[in-house]
Amino acid sequence: MPIDTALNPSASLVREVQHTISPGLWTLAWRRLKTDSVAMVSLAIVAAFILLMVVSGLGLVAKDWAKEVGINYAPPSWITLGAADAPTPAPLPSGTGEPTHLGPTPGSAFNSTVVDPLADVINELKGTKAADSAVSASAAVVDENKVVDPLADVMKDIRSGQANAKDVPAAEERRATLPFGGDKWGRDIIAKTIKGSETSIFVGLAAAVVAVFIGTVLGAFAGYYGRWVDDLLNWFYSVFSSIPYLLLILAVAAVLQQKGTFTIVLILGLTGWSGVFRLIRAEYLKHKGREYVMAADALGASHGRKMFLHIFPNVSHVVLVQLSILTVGFIKAEVILSFLGFGVPVDVVSWGSMLNEAQNELILGKWWQLVAATLAMATLVTAFSLFTDALRDALDPKLKGRSGH
Amino acid sequence: MAPTMLGVVLLVFLLFNWVGGDPAYVLAGKISNQEQIDNIRRQLGVDQPFYVQLWIFIKQILTADFGASWSTNESVSHILATRLGPSLTVLVPLLILQTIIAVGLALAVAYVRGSLTDRMVMIICTIGLSISILVYIIVFQYVFAYKLGWFPVQGWGNDFWENLIKYASLPILIGLTVSIAPNLRLYRTFVLDEINQDYVRTARAKGVGENRIMWIHVLRNASIPIITNLMAELPGLLLGSFLIERFFSIPGIGREVILAVERSDFPVIKAITVYVAFATITTNLLADLMYKAVDPRVQLK
Amino acid sequence: MDAADVALDPLLQIRDLRVTFRLDKHSSFEAVKGISFDIPKNSTIALVGESGSGKSVTSLAILGLLPPENTIIDSKSQIIFGGRNIVGMPQAELRALRGADISMIFQEPMTSLNPVFTVGFQLEEVLHLHVGLRGAAARKRSIELMAEVGIPEPERRIDMFPSQLSGGQQQRVMIAMAIACEPKLLIADEPTTALDVTIQKQILDLIAALQKKHQMSVLFITHDLAVVGEIADRVVVMRNGEIREQGPAKQVFENPQDAYTKALLKCRPQIDRRPARLPVIDDFMSGDGRGPRDVQERTRGLNPGDKVVLEVKNLGKSFFSREGLFGKREFKAVKDVSFSLAKGKTLGLVGESGSGKTTVGLTLMRLHEATTGEALFDGRDILAMSPKEFMQYKRRIQIIFQNPYASLNPRFIVGQILTEPMQIHGIGRNAQERTELAFELLQKVGLPEASFYKYPHEFSGGQRQRIAIARCLTLKPDILICDESVSALDVSVQAQVLNLLQDLQEEFSLSYIFISHDLAVVKYISDQVMVMNEGEIVEIANSDEIYRNPREPYTKRLLASIPKGWHPGQARA
Repeated sequence: MPIDTALNPSASLVREVQHTISPGLWTLAWRRLKTDSVAMVSLAIVAAFILLMVVSGLGLVAKDWAKEVGINYAPPSWITLGAADAPTPAPLPSGTGEPTHLGPTPGSAFNSTVVDPLADVINELKGTKAADSAVSASAAVVDENKVVDPLADVMKDIRSGQANAKDVPAAEERRATLPFGGDKWGRDIIAKTIKGSETSIFVGLAAAVVAVFIGTVLGAFAGYYGRWVDDLLNWFYSVFSSIPYLLLILAVAAVLQQKGTFTIVLILGLTGWSGVFRLIRAEYLKHKGREYVMAADALGASHGRKMFLHIFPNVSHVVLVQLSILTVGFIKAEVILSFLGFGVPVDVVSWGSMLNEAQNELILGKWWQLVAATLAMATLVTAFSLFTDALRDALDPKLKGRSGH
Repeated sequence: MAPTMLGVVLLVFLLFNWVGGDPAYVLAGKISNQEQIDNIRRQLGVDQPFYVQLWIFIKQILTADFGASWSTNESVSHILATRLGPSLTVLVPLLILQTIIAVGLALAVAYVRGSLTDRMVMIICTIGLSISILVYIIVFQYVFAYKLGWFPVQGWGNDFWENLIKYASLPILIGLTVSIAPNLRLYRTFVLDEINQDYVRTARAKGVGENRIMWIHVLRNASIPIITNLMAELPGLLLGSFLIERFFSIPGIGREVILAVERSDFPVIKAITVYVAFATITTNLLADLMYKAVDPRVQLK
Repeated sequence: MDAADVALDPLLQIRDLRVTFRLDKHSSFEAVKGISFDIPKNSTIALVGESGSGKSVTSLAILGLLPPENTIIDSKSQIIFGGRNIVGMPQAELRALRGADISMIFQEPMTSLNPVFTVGFQLEEVLHLHVGLRGAAARKRSIELMAEVGIPEPERRIDMFPSQLSGGQQQRVMIAMAIACEPKLLIADEPTTALDVTIQKQILDLIAALQKKHQMSVLFITHDLAVVGEIADRVVVMRNGEIREQGPAKQVFENPQDAYTKALLKCRPQIDRRPARLPVIDDFMSGDGRGPRDVQERTRGLNPGDKVVLEVKNLGKSFFSREGLFGKREFKAVKDVSFSLAKGKTLGLVGESGSGKTTVGLTLMRLHEATTGEALFDGRDILAMSPKEFMQYKRRIQIIFQNPYASLNPRFIVGQILTEPMQIHGIGRNAQERTELAFELLQKVGLPEASFYKYPHEFSGGQRQRIAIARCLTLKPDILICDESVSALDVSVQAQVLNLLQDLQEEFSLSYIFISHDLAVVKYISDQVMVMNEGEIVEIANSDEIYRNPREPYTKRLLASIPKGWHPGQARA
């Protein structure tokens, strides 16, 4: 290529550029990343989850997650059941559902067929509760759960609505076991987890994009322009950051009465930008004083050109890392909010709402929903975090080249 | 400081009086007594212009009188005063233990940086962090309280020591499990930042032993970001434990927030938000002063 | 290496030292490639080399201070001290040696001292560790040491934190710590590089005096031969991890055998000579190795008829720092500076750190806003213009910064870097024409055309500075401000860039404002020299004149601090 260009640089330029441009810093970072096996495995897992989210969002899989395909609390099929334990497909008549969780326990309904290993514990528990005189406010889990689970009634409505609408499998068709068990209504846990993943990952990613966008734009302006722009935006930042994050989310959730996936995205995004703002502002402040920006200034580059063409590519790695850190953070926040019932609406399933149900199921010994939601979340978040760490290392300019001696 | 406080007041005001809208609308279906709702509207000055409403709000903050809770009629100031104690009973021991353990582990891990142990600890931290706090609480409560019966399932008494020993220990244990991993990771980077500084090389060149370098030279420098970080986290912790409080029925601030949000009990949320924000601003200022006190480089500027 | 000139009973022997750094799983880098030399008792050895020569690695290896995670010292390597091999010595024994028998001082005194402990604490620590002194006795001894290294009022300063001391005092504290236990060997790793020239002189004198007084040996590591000319007994020259030449100072300076050593000696501008072109390293490394002969001298200086392109009158620049809520404190960085710059000539601007020389440059570029004064360019005051109007003039004044690693946008390929300014100012009719111009300029600054497609990180420091120069030339400026533009470069590269600047000046009749702390370089390239101190002009005169006959005491002091290099007949050993 040097010979070509030397002979006739201008003529062959356009093609030459495509052929001979050196690998940029992103390419180099990608190469570094590729040598890191942990990072690549993590990336594959994250990509698989995101693919799952897309596929599920398009309705290609887990579309019928709400279908009650198994008996109530169908155990996972890989649990060996003694012949005597094989549950007869005799589910509770749909519509009555579960009045409360510990009252006439659903477990007791099963007692005839399935041996509930926890039956004793539960009974004992109830006894202990009554005996525990010191506790006045707590009044046992039962009452607490009444407060916690404001969804029970709504859920019932929805369910009966669905039942009336169409295709509730006849009781005979319901399966005794499901691959990873079933929930209270006999819905397949695997499909439910996939659907839950879709919601949680979507909320996490979308909220992170919103927060990073706001934080980056404000941070860039504050750091680049300094003076009163910086003072103003900094004031704005300090107001937002002086209200603890979770409190702010809860306050906004309290005020916004309507629930919905987009509402939760907005709540998380609009309240979570302050960390990004601080970092990007500091980066812009640092880069503004760098000689390459001063050189651009000396050459007559406009503010916009300096901010976006010169500085932004040099801080974009911070933005990327923040995006993935925030995604993890927002996934966790969504889980907590949905658990508390302030997150996604009742007809939408997410890891948080699954955990909410699982909390009560655990007492009955139905641990599979808990394990499924926890496993899905832990796998994704671990992979995401490990990938973020590797990404940060790969993009860190300090690691570039040899240490200078 | 003052402008920030004013900003917080404005933000909360806008959120609740503007976005939140008319309490009559919010409370529809929650309070059936029309007289009571009218009373609340009058109190907030809903029909008055904005600046009057703002002034009413500011007066409420200054006099610490937010009226009564919309759902229990208990006075808000009384709610705040009585809920702080239980929160602190859990938080103070948690904070102390967590800091000591995390700093100790961070130094130990940084000492063997790059080794297999270091990498394993970091991976365990990452995995531990990826499990929702909800799962820890659910599982710990189930295993240690329900099944093993080592701790009471939940509850709270009137005696401080009984609360601390009997009711707070499992919540504290869960708090530690959840908080050590992120803090260890953070403190480790603080320590590693210092280990690569030139003065550590100087200390080695002087013949100072590795232990002394770690515990005297490095720790003294790393304590600066650790302390500022701790101070900044303090008010957040008050609420960070709200899940624990809710699960264990500890009558603290965090549980109160959740109850209030569930019941749309705006006066309580407003009061807690404003005061916690003020506390944050104050501790940030203290952190700043403390930073100046511990870092001799700052005094000059 | 000939055994004859090596002392019979050396203090320290290095034999076949080989150090490799693991870069990642698959690659490593051999920093020191099997070197051997001796450090005799009671003498000063200079270890000289440019960046990447392995000199610092060698010194750190002597103390066992290389990071164990990624360093491999060859098992056959030997560093013999007191009959024992330091390589592979147990940590405990090594620690007993460090700070007691062998001590070390570093390039950056500010970061080398622990910022959160007082000077006294850090001095007493070393006394306690190796001599067992504690309490009042340790404090007394510390004060004595501080007095010995020339720190005024040691009783007061012992309780200060490092940040409260000046750079020179910090380095003195480092030295006090190093000599506290009467070491047999002091390793000084570029101890004066970060300091101003007058302070450098003081520290050099101090080290020389202490060496004599304590009868110790000094291993002095530097990139600058001139610095060690006055104090070294023996010189070891390193390049790329190998020893190129070693011997008594007299022999190395007066009759260097190795082509590289010769180049190092000749590439650096000398105060008393001004060759038309500086010899560069290739002149020595190729051909017969004797370097260029019959070099013509160049004359520099202002002539009465020179056309003035820029006239600066009463330039002032203040910085304001906020104090309290509304108050602000004024710091005058530049006070009442007036000068004129002639067409095709160079105005050298010298001064120590904090003298305001860089601020003058940045203010003229309007990268800082001037507080007072005017700068007449073509009769128009460029400081008072609207930003829009100034755009016309912006292209006519350009600047080259000190740090070639920071002044190029790492995310742009060189082609973008060069065409962007043309695009902004509408030079060239279309992209193709601009590209052609860029290729032309690359050739002009001596870079291959393939550079167009590369990113800055693929170039060395000298090459990057060439790119920065080419970027300025795209705008065909009249004035070029060089802000410490060659200071970060190795001596051999520095010569090449200086030659390039002179060639360009001749070709385009450029005017330079050459800002530097390096008096020899300024003397070499300038027609006129302006000495600045604390924001004010101390003296301004023709370059030869000011060096031959300085009028102001400050100028005299500054000139006296220039390292003299080797002087025939000064032989010590």
